[in-house]
Amino acid sequence: MARATRPEPPELSRRSVLQLGGGMALLVATGGCAAGGSDDDGPDDPAAATLRIAVPSYPSSWDQDFVGFDLTALMLYKNVFPYMIDYGVTTVDGAEVLDTGTVVPTFAESFEPDAEQRVWTLRLRRGVTFASGNELTAADVKWSKDRAFAAQSNVAGIYRTIGLTEADQVRVVDDYTVEFHQEFPSALTRQIQAISLYVFDSQEAQAHATEDDPWATEWFTNNPPTGGYFNVADAVQGQQVELTANSGYSGPEPAQIGTIRLTVVPAAANQRLQLQNGDVDIALGLSRRDAQDLREAEGIQVISAASNEQVAIQMSVTTAPFDNVEVRRALAYAVPYEQIIANVYGGDARPTQSLVPLDMPGYDPRGYPYTHNPELARQALDAAGVGPVRAELVFETDNEVQQQIAVLVQSEAAKVGIELELTPLDPATLGERRGQRSIALQITTGQLWVNDVEYMLATSFVEGAALNYSNYTNSEVEQTYEDSHTIVDEAERNQLWLRVQEILAEDVPWAIICQPNFNLPVREHVAGWVQPMDGLARLRYLRTSA
Amino acid sequence: MRLLRFVARRLLLLVPVLLGVVVVTFLLVRVLPGDPIRTILGPNATEADAAAARARYGLDQPLWRQFVDYLRGLGTGDLGRSIQSGGSVTSELALRVGPTLELVVLALAVALVVATVLGIWSARRAHRIGDHSIRVLALAGNSLPDFWLGLVLILVGYSVLGWFPAPSGRVDPDTHLTPVTGADLLDAVLTGNGPAFGSALGYLALPVATLSIVIVAPLLRSVRASALEVLRSEAYTAAAAHGLPDRLLRRGYLVRAALSRLPALAALVFGFGIGSTVLVEYVFSWQGFGQWALRGLLFRDYPVVQASVLVIAAGYVLVFLVADVVHAMLDPRVRI
Repeated sequence: MARATRPEPPELSRRSVLQLGGGMALLVATGGCAAGGSDDDGPDDPAAATLRIAVPSYPSSWDQDFVGFDLTALMLYKNVFPYMIDYGVTTVDGAEVLDTGTVVPTFAESFEPDAEQRVWTLRLRRGVTFASGNELTAADVKWSKDRAFAAQSNVAGIYRTIGLTEADQVRVVDDYTVEFHQEFPSALTRQIQAISLYVFDSQEAQAHATEDDPWATEWFTNNPPTGGYFNVADAVQGQQVELTANSGYSGPEPAQIGTIRLTVVPAAANQRLQLQNGDVDIALGLSRRDAQDLREAEGIQVISAASNEQVAIQMSVTTAPFDNVEVRRALAYAVPYEQIIANVYGGDARPTQSLVPLDMPGYDPRGYPYTHNPELARQALDAAGVGPVRAELVFETDNEVQQQIAVLVQSEAAKVGIELELTPLDPATLGERRGQRSIALQITTGQLWVNDVEYMLATSFVEGAALNYSNYTNSEVEQTYEDSHTIVDEAERNQLWLRVQEILAEDVPWAIICQPNFNLPVREHVAGWVQPMDGLARLRYLRTSA
Repeated sequence: MRLLRFVARRLLLLVPVLLGVVVVTFLLVRVLPGDPIRTILGPNATEADAAAARARYGLDQPLWRQFVDYLRGLGTGDLGRSIQSGGSVTSELALRVGPTLELVVLALAVALVVATVLGIWSARRAHRIGDHSIRVLALAGNSLPDFWLGLVLILVGYSVLGWFPAPSGRVDPDTHLTPVTGADLLDAVLTGNGPAFGSALGYLALPVATLSIVIVAPLLRSVRASALEVLRSEAYTAAAAHGLPDRLLRRGYLVRAALSRLPALAALVFGFGIGSTVLVEYVFSWQGFGQWALRGLLFRDYPVVQASVLVIAAGYVLVFLVADVVHAMLDPRVRI
């Protein structure tokens, strides 16, 4: 019966064959047309060339005064805002890197202090214009600094370290001269201003300001700034930003390449494929493993340079049992430093013997006398007399490297009697718990934007410092930090930093793991990469080799 | 007239549903651990700076006041300002919804066509090798993680064969497409931009294929099961016994009846598809609604999370409304 009701299968008609064939042809044709050719040859005229860079995200805002910690956005600002001064370039082990010891005027003509190093005078280059055609004058600098103080955000925070706390301390002398009156002289001024002295087109801003929005935040959120080494020629929200060299820039070291296209490619696997296929020239979101794999890939070179990025475990000195210095020492001895460098970083990281980063003026290898030594770890734990130690070890969700480190540390710490529970946290929860200072142990990764121990203390080791997740305080370190504000002599400062490192070695608020090297896979014809010590690429140096 | 009354009644139901969603989301997002303000402040920010930022976004106000302000904004179409970007959430939403809707609608359309054709074909060859093959393939597609499937399609379609464009966007910027709705294919049609249409189609091919493969299995099973029921029904047996031509049997008796269950299921699958776009958008650099909502959630960007949930809730209600209407049109036994 069932067999009788089953209909016969229909025959494939001529029409359906044609429909099927047509559909396939359309699909193939569409794909073929859209795929386009990938041209990996370097262009004839490097200045007229286009470089294609894959970035992991689109900038969350164009307004630097109000943006969060968005690396893509901050990198773009470095290239599209007129920054009055910037770091110079030096060569280290064959790699070009930004030289934090040399700060040079770029859009400014000069930036020099008075004899007391308390009043700094910024003289502007004449004839620098924004895309609107407005000339960059002292009024723009003043308006930009007033805005930064009103924002009470990034720049206002960092200016405190050099004694700039009020908008009145920034004074216009004439159309091309501005003075910064600091409360005290500071050795940090040049470096702090190198990362803070960006200028808005104030006439354009005021045209878009309203009574409710006197600083034109709405306008600057959606409209890119202009007047830097590059202007934003086109921005497709969420997808791509096209930069063109600013032909109106007349200062030193103008952009070497005509056009740069930054394309948003969040997935690292896709960045890698596109780099291999020649659809992008530089991939700014690849994992360490991808970079390692690509060393042998055809048409690709991996640029390597030493980095000031530090990887550490911050131990809360106010949370039991890590309020006991012997427990902190026990963990410092339990961390498998060499194993992490070998297994997580494939040997491509530098071991370090101080909480002061390698290459920072004042670094001393006596600053961290801890190596992997389970026996000493057990002894320290016995000396602590706190019984079994249990704690959570926090790291960033989706941070593969931190997770690998956490697993290795957990394994080795267990061998000496420290039981660690691994806790990945998303950005908002991590931010909140850091604000509450309620994390006993956390893995931190980062680089200091100012290459100076005073800045390091200001951000990480004095009471109330934002990155002081250890809640570390030491009266001598506090006093040294206060004293250092007005000491500008380098030898004298280095003496201070030696004592600071001795104290930190004694108190061990961090287990400092290593400084991983920087690796960037690029197409072979890409040249001119300068390794930024603040993580923000200066695109003006990029070029294509002939 | 009855249909219009039904639609009007259901649209009225939207109001209490969305109001409930607004209240629950507003409260829940604030109960979640995580401080959105801390994620936008620099490393040297003090408590005073944090307080100033809170005041800037109205987060220093009592909860009831924040809620009243939010409701007042909703009334005027103002969904607030994103804490992460500082931009208008309404504007950002408008940019993000179009690309995702285009992706999901096209994927669902492809999946529906494939499910209908193959489901009926499979039912008519029930328990033969073709039927088994299709069922196994559909099940396999359904079992594959969408991000993995997407990566494999990229590897094959873009990297090995070179047939499709690099997964980095939705349309070639050199086609200078003027955005209208945010749905690039539609915008290319609306603006008469032929090159952009071809480009958008190329960019859509792989993500649509990924999503379609993932969602086609339940639809196919539903069509096949319904078709089998029809094929085994007395009415169909009688019609076949009377010697009606195959084409008439298929169109008059089989297809319409076999599709009667599909609208409700398709509505459910549509919701699943919206959820799946988070990973598909990530893999294909799509920068649509899913990625935007996920980032909002990760950074506890309250206005973005509230707007996302509201849009998803409204979308669900509207899609089920459409499904009910289509079901009634397909199945005369259903009265609305």
